Amino acid sequence: MMQPVSIAAADPQAPNLRRFRSNVGEHLLVVPHTRIFDLPPALAASLDADVQAADRLAAELGQTSVLEVDLAAVVTPAPQSLSLNVSSSCNLSCGYCYADRGAFGGAQAKTMTIAVAQQAIDRLLAAADPARPITIGFLGGEPLRNRNLIYAIVHLTSERARQQSLDVRYSITSNGTLVSDSDIKMFRDHRFAVTISIDGDEIVHDAQRPRRNGAGSFAKLAARVKPLLADPGRAQVAARMTVRCDRLDLEPRLNAIWSLGFAEAGVAPLRVAADGSALRDDDWPIYRDALIGVARHELERAMRGMPIRLTNFAVALKQIHGGASSPYACGAGGGYFSVAADGDWYACHRAIGDASYRLGSAVGLDENRRRSFLEARHVHAKSDCRHCWARYLCSGGCHQEAHARSAASCDFIRDWLDFCLASYCELSSARPEHFTCRSRASV
Amino acid sequence: MPALQSPKLIARNVAAVRRFADPSSVAPTVAGNPVSTRLESGIGNCFPGLECDLRNLERRFFPFLEMDPIENSIFLAGVDTDGVARATAAGDLPQSDAAVYASLADNLRAGHSVLVSQLAGTFGLLGSLTLRLALPALGDAPAVDGDLTTASVGSGRKPPDAWTAVRMLTEETDVSLAFVNDGDPGTLTLTAKRARYLDDNGSLSAAFLPGELSQSLCSPWTHDFRDCGCFYWASNHPDIAQPVLPAGTLPGQPWNAAVAWERRDRTISTVPPPNATEASPEASELRHYEINNRWQELHFVVGRREITAPFSPTVVQGTAFANRAELLANLNYASGVELAVAQEYLAAAYSLKRDDDPSLLANADLRDDVRAARAELMRIAIGEMRHIRAVNDVIRGLSDPNGFEPALRVASRVPHGNPGSFRPVMARAATRQAIADFIEIEAQSTGVDGLYNNILATLQFPPADVKSFVTDEWKQAIRSVIAEGEDHFETFLNIQEWLSTHDETDYLRSQALRPPPTGNAADTALQAAYSSLLNNLYAGYKKGRFLGSSEINAARSAMVGSDGIVAKAEAVASQGFLVMFATPADARFAPIDPPGVLVA
Repeated sequence: MMQPVSIAAADPQAPNLRRFRSNVGEHLLVVPHTRIFDLPPALAASLDADVQAADRLAAELGQTSVLEVDLAAVVTPAPQSLSLNVSSSCNLSCGYCYADRGAFGGAQAKTMTIAVAQQAIDRLLAAADPARPITIGFLGGEPLRNRNLIYAIVHLTSERARQQSLDVRYSITSNGTLVSDSDIKMFRDHRFAVTISIDGDEIVHDAQRPRRNGAGSFAKLAARVKPLLADPGRAQVAARMTVRCDRLDLEPRLNAIWSLGFAEAGVAPLRVAADGSALRDDDWPIYRDALIGVARHELERAMRGMPIRLTNFAVALKQIHGGASSPYACGAGGGYFSVAADGDWYACHRAIGDASYRLGSAVGLDENRRRSFLEARHVHAKSDCRHCWARYLCSGGCHQEAHARSAASCDFIRDWLDFCLASYCELSSARPEHFTCRSRASV
Repeated sequence: MPALQSPKLIARNVAAVRRFADPSSVAPTVAGNPVSTRLESGIGNCFPGLECDLRNLERRFFPFLEMDPIENSIFLAGVDTDGVARATAAGDLPQSDAAVYASLADNLRAGHSVLVSQLAGTFGLLGSLTLRLALPALGDAPAVDGDLTTASVGSGRKPPDAWTAVRMLTEETDVSLAFVNDGDPGTLTLTAKRARYLDDNGSLSAAFLPGELSQSLCSPWTHDFRDCGCFYWASNHPDIAQPVLPAGTLPGQPWNAAVAWERRDRTISTVPPPNATEASPEASELRHYEINNRWQELHFVVGRREITAPFSPTVVQGTAFANRAELLANLNYASGVELAVAQEYLAAAYSLKRDDDPSLLANADLRDDVRAARAELMRIAIGEMRHIRAVNDVIRGLSDPNGFEPALRVASRVPHGNPGSFRPVMARAATRQAIADFIEIEAQSTGVDGLYNNILATLQFPPADVKSFVTDEWKQAIRSVIAEGEDHFETFLNIQEWLSTHDETDYLRSQALRPPPTGNAADTALQAAYSSLLNNLYAGYKKGRFLGSSEINAARSAMVGSDGIVAKAEAVASQGFLVMFATPADARFAPIDPPGVLVA
């Protein structure tokens, strides 16, 4: 177990349990370490009658066991996952882009060179735990605009990984319009996790993701990714659909995406948007109902033994089954870093150029800054979050979106989790093999 | 809290299953071993062992053979035919020898008993010998007693048994063996160098297979404890334990008896079961098959006593003092109490008859009880002296640098009875009343123990001006003192029981022991020695651990030996006087009063 660099004390008043029900009965979520129990009706009634006793029981059940990590710990693991912002330009002009099309408002003026990328990879491979997977991601702007760098890095790193018996995996997030046959070959050969940003059917997609001249990008995207979707090889291809406040319908758009051949699609509602299209308080209940509607359909499919195509739902169920419980929503500053074109290491790819997120340079990480960064973002340190029953499932959400947090956006998350918890109980009762079958490709 | 016995929570996801399959049995925190438990005092020794049976080293004393020395015989257990083949191929072993090994292996394979009839070699100190070993009747040949059956002494004497003989063989000298078996007549002989145990790197010889050195160890789960005759199996399968206390009975005699834990008769009656004896296993204990069937009738043993109800430890928590000054005042007083009771215990010890007192010769029980009582009183008194040192170390740790003043002032009064009440320090004979007072002062949570509980509580929950001085070492030191106090308490109960069956006149030197008169030479010598001791301790403690070592050692030497305090005290006692230790007229050693009011 890693030694914590610091402790972020839990609030003793924070709730330790969440009572919920599903079609199969009454349940108890023990909040610390996300343990789920079924309650016989009599026991459920007696727990509901004495809330304090129920919380004490949940506190006992939530004690950390030897195989688990103390939820109050602030740890600084070795970096295990790195993203490279390889391109500071993009051929599209989506209004909500967090990266200002790759330039990050001037912070990322030049393109990353192979030398800078290599240096970052060297540091990653030297520091990472060789016994666990090491992930390298390519972002931008549109990363395929710096295709040469990606090819070079993948080639060199794969060779090193083979020699040193390291499990190196690659990922890329792309707008899909520049995907070439050689890109597809690389994706297949090196087991890339490919995320294509696609916002729905042609109409919505073209409205939200125009090219720089204003024309749509859907047709180009569809044509370019078609061979990859037809035969992904060893690549895993997923779609990412962004939701703006002015288009909260989900189902028809997702159907369009699935019809193209994507096996799975994830939905990302905007909480922060450069063009003001982030969801507002009134939007969240609508979005929630739409998302749950889609998920319900997917649940019905899963009950019949079919795979779940909505990534948000599939991941939530898997996490709940495993008891995922973390004081951090992501690995930013912990096991994950993002490298800018100038070689500086940032906690997150959405914060390139933001000094408060710059935690190191090509030379090394500043451990003091890292510790401060993580201490401040531990869920126990967040006044909004430390009393929430969902605190180890949501963990406070994306750091970049924290300032946009509101009661309405948090209510959405809790409602969504309530639905997922109940769905989990129903699906694991009806189809336990959904969670135990190992041949299922991991999401 | 609603009862969770019948309706149970059912773990659904991985995280729930991982923690509790049946959460109605959520484990509460339990009391563990006392802090004075040490790893080395656990079940670790080397005979026949629970770690390594060293006797197994001798089984491979001859190359390529595995043998069992048993009493006065040596049985052949195995032949390493692969090793023989390799050595022969390498040219290290003559063909003739290989043939003998092969014959021996054949005999074993055919199910014959093969024994060593003659063992010749260099037996260390005993020199070169040729020994005939014991043999059972083999075929037509009669049994043979061999040379080791009768004990021999003086030069030319023989080893006492076969294993010891093998043990004595000098490594790498020639050993000759003659083998006989019960299949065919005739003798096979082999000569080779006695094998080495360790190679040049210090590694165990590769001849030993994994598991071989521990193959003969006692195995609790195969009932070895049932046959162990040494009353040793202390912790997980005790030979003896104190019996179940009837309801409403306080611990004490006759219920502090040592009874056989595996007795067949499990009834709990108004009298305790009979004491365990060496004959108990055959006579009154469960047999192996009975243990398998009736194991659930055996009781758990907690604190040396069998219990039949769930155990609830009594948690004793003291009350923290308000500040460092109060803590130090109480620590200084505690040291004074240790010194005071050490003096009382020594006086009591010296009031008992000597071991060689003629009046004890007739009665073995009386003699043994007096001897045990004195030994234990001395042991406890010495323990209190160690406590003085421990408390001084803690005081030093809590003091400012250069602000440490050794605590060697004897207490004027010691805690007695309810918290807040005291009695004067009295040197007296080991009368029943005195022993009762000693029990009182060592009783848990009252007496001295209560004082240390408050000290410990202050270290665990330190006030602001104590916080920076507290270390784990000081807490452990105080915990050890408390744990040893519990041992003292138990021991005084034992002493009380031993002496209870005799009249005081039987075991005390004199009924009316009085302090020695002024000017008594023996007493003057004793007091001078004591004063010098205190001065040495003061100087040694003041200087600290290494710098003060010569004074501390001088203090120690002054206590023992034919000219030490122990002898000077005996000189006073044998004149029929009380052994007392006068407080020197020195402000550093002046009596110390209990500080303020001690909180319960």
